[in-house]
Amino acid sequence: MRQSFLLSVSFSLLSLPLVITADDVLYEQDVRPILKAHCFLCHGEEGVTEANLDLRLARFISQGGDSGPAIVAGKSAESILLDRIESGEMPPEDKTLSPREIETIRRWIEQGARTASPEPESISDQYFTSQESQFWAFQPIVKHAVPILRTERELFSPVDYFILAQLRSKQLEFTDKAPRETLIRRLYFDLLGLPPSADAVEKFLSDDRPDAYEQLVDRLLASPQYGERWGRHWLDVAGYADSEGYTDADTEREWAYAYRDYVIRAFNQNMPYDQFVTDQLAGDELTSRPYKDLSADARRQLTATGFLRMAPDGTGSGGVDQMVARNEAIADSIDVMTSSLLGMTVGCARCHNHRYDPVSQEDYYRLRAILAPALDWQAWQSPSQRRISLYTQQDQQQRSTIEARAQEATAARQKIIDQHIDRTLYEELIKAPDELKEPLRVAYKTAAADRTDDQKALLKEHPYIQNISSGSLYLYSRQRNRRAMDIEAIADQRESDAIAAVKSDYLGSLEDESLRESLVALLAVAEEDRSDQQKAMLSEHEALLVSADTLTRYNADEAARIAEYRKAAQICRSTDARKEMEELQKGIDEIRAEIPREYFIRALTEPENHQPVTYLFKRGNHSSPADKPTLPGELEILRSKVSVSIPENNPDLPTSGRRLAYAKHLTSDRHPLTARVMVNRIWYHHFGRTFVNTLGDFGQLGERPSHPRLLDWLSREFIESGWDMKHIHRLILTSYTYQQQSKRSSYLDEIDPDNRYYARQSVRRLESEVVRDAVIAVSGQANNSMFGEAVPVMEDGVGQIVLGKENLDGERKPIKGEGLGTDEHRRSIYIQVRRSRPLAVLETFDVPSVAPNCTQRSSSNVAPQALLLMNSDFIVRYAELFSEHIQQFGGESVTDRISYAWQRANGQRIDEDTMVALTEFLENQQQELLNSREGMPADEAEQVAWAMLCQALFASNQFIYVD
Amino acid sequence: MTMNQNQTSRRHFLSRLAMGSIPLSLAYLSQNRASAEPVKPNIGLQSFDLTPKQTHHEPKAKAMISMFMQGGPSQMDLMDPKPMLNKMHLQKFPGKIKYDNAAEASSRIMGSPYKFAKHGECGTEISELLPGLAGIVDDVLVIRSMHTGVNNHGQSIHAMNSGRTQKGRPSLGSWLTYGLGAETDELPAFVSLTDPQGLPVEGVLNWSNGWLPSLFQGTVVRPVEPRILNLNAPQQFTGDSQENFLNLIRRLNEKHRAQRNRELELSARIANYELAYKMQASAQEALDISQETQATHDMYGIGVKETDEFGKRCLIARRLVERGVRVIQLFTKNQYWDHHGSLKSRLPASCKKVDLPAAALVKDLKQRGMLDSTVVHWGGEMGRLPVIQNDTGVENFGRDHNTYGFSMWVAGGGFKAGATYGVTDEFGHYAVEDVVNHFDYHRTLLHLFGLDAESLTFKQNGREQSLLDGQPGEIVEGLLA
Repeated sequence: MRQSFLLSVSFSLLSLPLVITADDVLYEQDVRPILKAHCFLCHGEEGVTEANLDLRLARFISQGGDSGPAIVAGKSAESILLDRIESGEMPPEDKTLSPREIETIRRWIEQGARTASPEPESISDQYFTSQESQFWAFQPIVKHAVPILRTERELFSPVDYFILAQLRSKQLEFTDKAPRETLIRRLYFDLLGLPPSADAVEKFLSDDRPDAYEQLVDRLLASPQYGERWGRHWLDVAGYADSEGYTDADTEREWAYAYRDYVIRAFNQNMPYDQFVTDQLAGDELTSRPYKDLSADARRQLTATGFLRMAPDGTGSGGVDQMVARNEAIADSIDVMTSSLLGMTVGCARCHNHRYDPVSQEDYYRLRAILAPALDWQAWQSPSQRRISLYTQQDQQQRSTIEARAQEATAARQKIIDQHIDRTLYEELIKAPDELKEPLRVAYKTAAADRTDDQKALLKEHPYIQNISSGSLYLYSRQRNRRAMDIEAIADQRESDAIAAVKSDYLGSLEDESLRESLVALLAVAEEDRSDQQKAMLSEHEALLVSADTLTRYNADEAARIAEYRKAAQICRSTDARKEMEELQKGIDEIRAEIPREYFIRALTEPENHQPVTYLFKRGNHSSPADKPTLPGELEILRSKVSVSIPENNPDLPTSGRRLAYAKHLTSDRHPLTARVMVNRIWYHHFGRTFVNTLGDFGQLGERPSHPRLLDWLSREFIESGWDMKHIHRLILTSYTYQQQSKRSSYLDEIDPDNRYYARQSVRRLESEVVRDAVIAVSGQANNSMFGEAVPVMEDGVGQIVLGKENLDGERKPIKGEGLGTDEHRRSIYIQVRRSRPLAVLETFDVPSVAPNCTQRSSSNVAPQALLLMNSDFIVRYAELFSEHIQQFGGESVTDRISYAWQRANGQRIDEDTMVALTEFLENQQQELLNSREGMPADEAEQVAWAMLCQALFASNQFIYVD
Repeated sequence: MTMNQNQTSRRHFLSRLAMGSIPLSLAYLSQNRASAEPVKPNIGLQSFDLTPKQTHHEPKAKAMISMFMQGGPSQMDLMDPKPMLNKMHLQKFPGKIKYDNAAEASSRIMGSPYKFAKHGECGTEISELLPGLAGIVDDVLVIRSMHTGVNNHGQSIHAMNSGRTQKGRPSLGSWLTYGLGAETDELPAFVSLTDPQGLPVEGVLNWSNGWLPSLFQGTVVRPVEPRILNLNAPQQFTGDSQENFLNLIRRLNEKHRAQRNRELELSARIANYELAYKMQASAQEALDISQETQATHDMYGIGVKETDEFGKRCLIARRLVERGVRVIQLFTKNQYWDHHGSLKSRLPASCKKVDLPAAALVKDLKQRGMLDSTVVHWGGEMGRLPVIQNDTGVENFGRDHNTYGFSMWVAGGGFKAGATYGVTDEFGHYAVEDVVNHFDYHRTLLHLFGLDAESLTFKQNGREQSLLDGQPGEIVEGLLA
């Protein structure tokens, strides 16, 4: 514990710009960095020399300003500069220099205010000293000779000799090689981000070929899952996201995934890094226009430019200041480009010269000018305008052929719908009073605009007629039983009315009034109560016996009409128009489903012949442009090392050629940073620390390389191998250095607690995605499908971010998400990166937020991680699935199953002691469950106990750490 | 009942741990309580913790409870009386107005419909809408000259809550826990208590750690059960089965660590299981207000319809501070105080919900002797304009945004008590005397916590970042006791 605190102190010291070591205090190396950081802004830069005092050269300081000479060489007590600083008057407000910094300035004055070399006649804002120019990171990459050393160990990789040379200078030696079980697990997590299967482990342990290890390395490098693991590292530095960020809405960013897939493929194909960089910076400049019927190469190159489209981008959102949003997106893109490729923190030069590194504000705008034709804040492409369709001519043709078929089917369907409308109209009209039938029909058939007021009023009174339409047909269809019954009721009514009329007409026709009365009385007697005599009497008056069957004899017209009603009712009841319409629609949808899907890529492109002029923005404010334009170019400090010319316009290309020229320059074999930054990064991911352990900062505030010669040797090797990333992997992975065990010792911890010199490997925690992927893989659920649209995330009912398709109710509150099927078991790299919605399990284990990108992850060790592994739905669920997997594949006996589970989770054979612990746990836990839960069946207790055992395996350090 | 069981099994578990062969993990925890270095700029340092940190100077305040009244309470109707408005009611405003919503703007002055009176020994004038505040006014400092100068909710919220108007930066609570650590190892250091009716404008960004490590992010204690996620053992862990489960993990972890001597990270993770285990009970316990007396419940307005919900959160806040939580922020729902219209009916309702519980919190802290070391803050991101918005009948009158002069109150933690600070013009539009910018307030606040705003930095994108981020904030002496 004490050690870790000491550690933090020593880091803090390192953060000071320079530590005084030698006795000689010189302006350029000791004093200038202090004044540059605190004073230049008001005393020298951008033409600002308050009180006429310019502090940028020792000579100027001696000359002084309004208050006379600022220093008197050799006499610190008489130097105003020191007096003002010591009194706290300068710098103004609450800034103060540290005692150490003040002491440095005092000693410099006392020693005569000397400079390391003669100062220039005049200086510009871009002036940098020869000390700055000599800074290690800007020096050419030299292929140093591999050190020759005697050693008992078998060292195969040149890497080892560099490492050993430095170890010996610290009185250290290599430690022992790790056992094979450790090596295979280390390699799997390193290269694939997944645990080795039990089979893979057994195979490797029994492989007695001398190059078994090297073969394993090659197998893993050839695995498609390598690209998913190493692609993820690159996506961090590119700031990959599936959402735009910038605003609260954090709008989803469609089609971004094509870039993610490009990166995975590039790693899997071992695309040379120079090509990888060139594609991403200038793929569009390599592709001929128009962007139609794209070849595989063109598609790849255009997709790659998504790199410069990854920054948070609010320009597609409402309610933002467009000009601010555009300039922010450009600034973020520059940050992404420079921190990932140059390993420099160029971003602060947006507003003023870099406080620590020789990067001027002018430099910043030179880089901005390189991007300006494509990222022009005054001629901006909104997010929707950036899409390039991947539709080919053939796709188009296919689409129109299929569409024509769909149109045909739609017309046929419409015909049938029209028939149903007519039928429904008939069924509704039939219910209307006879005298209204025709006026209603005419009114309905009259186009709405042409209807008379009377017609409108009539229809308004009969909404069930007015409302008949293709859109409402399904409602009428759904009501067809009730509607048929309505029609039948009318038929029944008309029938009984007609029968009654026949009878009363007949009775009315009789002249004999007493006969009429006795017949009326007779009719009042119920049929079954009538005597034979009464029946006989009635039979003489046939018309009085009229029934529905015989009505037609007396009133043929009405009988026919009633028959029409009955028929209409029968048709109404038996016709399911809704179903028919749905089926027809389904048929049409099926036809349309054959249309090839239109995919897009989000690209960065330049309009033809577009060379906007770039101006430096004073203090970074886009409404204060400088007077003179800034031409595209490399940082001055690098330009002084490697000659480079970025054209304003390359006449041989339809584009300006600026980014292409810059990419070529970055990937030339003489650029001092590109190869170093990437090699440094590769090493980092194999060891958990690296030569320059500030991956995104190779400048003054970054670390100095721990192994400058090895870094250079590997960088040269990288370039000379044709920027072959897998070659660098092999050099590292087959080294003895890499294969060491990770054990600490007190001796080692005393000399090198941080393992800066690699006398061992390091114990490392799995990264967030790897934790999740490993849990899923071990549980036996992994869905290894690659590429394509992201698996969506959503907020669940308690506000956690989980996987699922968002489904919001009218008030935009989440309701139950739709199932994802096996997509929920896909690898984490395929999970939607919604900036504002990190998946709960990933966030808990420190998945970085990307605003705009992440050059180096941090790793926390907090209680919520433990809570998640103890109590979350996520872990409980996969523990249950793991347990089911064991029941199925782990053999029959408890010991077989336990050893299977252990091997599966940890990639190693279980030892006796652990077997005892797990067996005991299983027994005790079952007993505890039975005791504490009344009526729990024994087999259920067994299952639950197994799931808990599985969860304990996931939650243990053995699982979460790699040796 | 449940509590007792939990406590028993907790003791049970801890005693088993103590009897275990290596109590080192516990030792780790206790040793870590010792002061570490003050936070300094760092490079490449990849490990952070919440152990208490040494401050730059002797602190007055140890904890903070901020009640964030999102939307912008109307200062001239609550705590900054302006007789001139009533004198000139419905007349034309003579000066220049900065409107947010020009479409509904009017230049007619709106007098306050509410009466003000002097209260307490100090005689601070408070509106009749805030009887609770009126009752504690001798312990309170009303700041009447707040200024952020950016009229949008989002930007002004960021100014007040994370120091600058743009989003993406760490919140105040994150800075404080980064600089100070926590006084508890059983509860999160920084807690946000959200409203059951939804998040404030800017949502989770209000308690975001920005680019500080996620360790310093506010933990949301949710307004409904479960108040903390993953805090409850899965239901199948009945009886002592979670203890058995954790003992197995410990057994596996101890064996794993024994083979990896000196690997401190592993020890810390073992300790985390113990903390997590303790949190299950202690967070539950801390959030269980049923342990409080009926008198306390009544004081906070718990059980009374209007005040029940906010009262519970205020009481939880006090319980959390008692247990060593560093920063607690309570939020009202989205735009709760954004009274663009119908101010006469809506403002009293808003006041009803929060006024008595907020006052109860101050009283309660005071009677427990905790007020001196606890900053209580009540205020939003803006105030409102002296003129009418929505001039369509007196019942519809509202007021538009005003960030050029607005009020909030603070109490305890070294702030002056029984006073007002700063003055707005006679219409209450612009702060004209002793203007307190958000960065002045922040600098003063850090100062009370023993932190120097310039030295509390974090390296991000190659530069040392701070809460003030170079803004010229000053320690406002007039705010200090």
